[in-house]
Amino acid sequence: MPDFLRKLIGLLLIFATVGVASCQALVASCSSSSASAPTVLTPRG
Amino acid sequence: MGRLLLWVGVVLVPLTTLILLLKWKIETMAERYRLPSGQLPSAKGMLMFLLPLPVLFAAITSLARGQLLNLLGDAAGYGLFLGGALLLRRGLLLAVDYDRRRVAKAPLPFKTLGCGVIALATGVTAWLGAGQNPLVAVAFGLAALLGCYLSYGFDPRTAKRFTDRDGVDVTDRVLEALTQAENSIAAIEQASRDIRNTELNNRLRRITALARQILKLLEEDPRDLRRARKFLNVYLDGAKQVVEGYAKTHARVSTPELEDNFRRVLSTIEDVFQEQQQKLLETDVTDLDVQIEVLATQLKREGVV
Repeated sequence: MPDFLRKLIGLLLIFATVGVASCQALVASCSSSSASAPTVLTPRG
Repeated sequence: MGRLLLWVGVVLVPLTTLILLLKWKIETMAERYRLPSGQLPSAKGMLMFLLPLPVLFAAITSLARGQLLNLLGDAAGYGLFLGGALLLRRGLLLAVDYDRRRVAKAPLPFKTLGCGVIALATGVTAWLGAGQNPLVAVAFGLAALLGCYLSYGFDPRTAKRFTDRDGVDVTDRVLEALTQAENSIAAIEQASRDIRNTELNNRLRRITALARQILKLLEEDPRDLRRARKFLNVYLDGAKQVVEGYAKTHARVSTPELEDNFRRVLSTIEDVFQEQQQKLLETDVTDLDVQIEVLATQLKREGVV
């Protein structure tokens, strides 16, 4: 495999795994907080 | 308004700390590897510091919202990412050094270790941070490992050995001489920090830069080591002793005669180092001339020219 292609595939894989997992973690932390906020703030009864 | 300020503080403080940490790390590496002036330290491996930044923000968000489990997952993931990126960068710099030298021992497997830690960090972040299924998280980790391997490769495993004209393996001797010379240069730099004189400091900076250039020539072609033995054993070591001695005495007693003498010695050292560098470069030119002459004779004999 040519060196350039090998590095390109490697970079794409890194973006697809590290980048996606990182962004998903950020989205999860934001969305779970916005989802949990109303349940905490909603008055009981 | 207060909440906004709190948020800005929560984001800015770790971000600034991270930037300062990175700056300090790069400066330390630049100091250690002493790249030629004007050349920035390599940006290799910096992607791994930047790409996981959302995990840091996720951890900060979890902290601000008081979500302990998310915070632990994100913090563990980011910590592993940072550790992996530092190991990977160290491994990449060692690999550059290994590639540049003609004689080198196999470097410690920092790159492989860094790739492994980054793969683990990706799995942990996907599982605990993003809430993926553990099997999917393992797939994330394996794909990250493959990506790191394809992009950065693993560490070289074999030493670059060097044998002299008699066929004797002198790798260890060459490496020892180079390490000793590098230590002497570092000692000169350390001692020059105690000397508070701009002119002398500039002179010393030029001397250490010259010495490093000579070492670089020797690293590229260890055959020159025999010719540079006097430089390594006598001049460099002598320069180290003189500079260390002056730095110690200068702190207690400072007389114009002593300063003049030291200035004169530094001037001589600089001349000698320049001469040594010139000799090594001229040898390369002579070697090339000889090679060209041999090739021309051969071509003539073959009737090509």
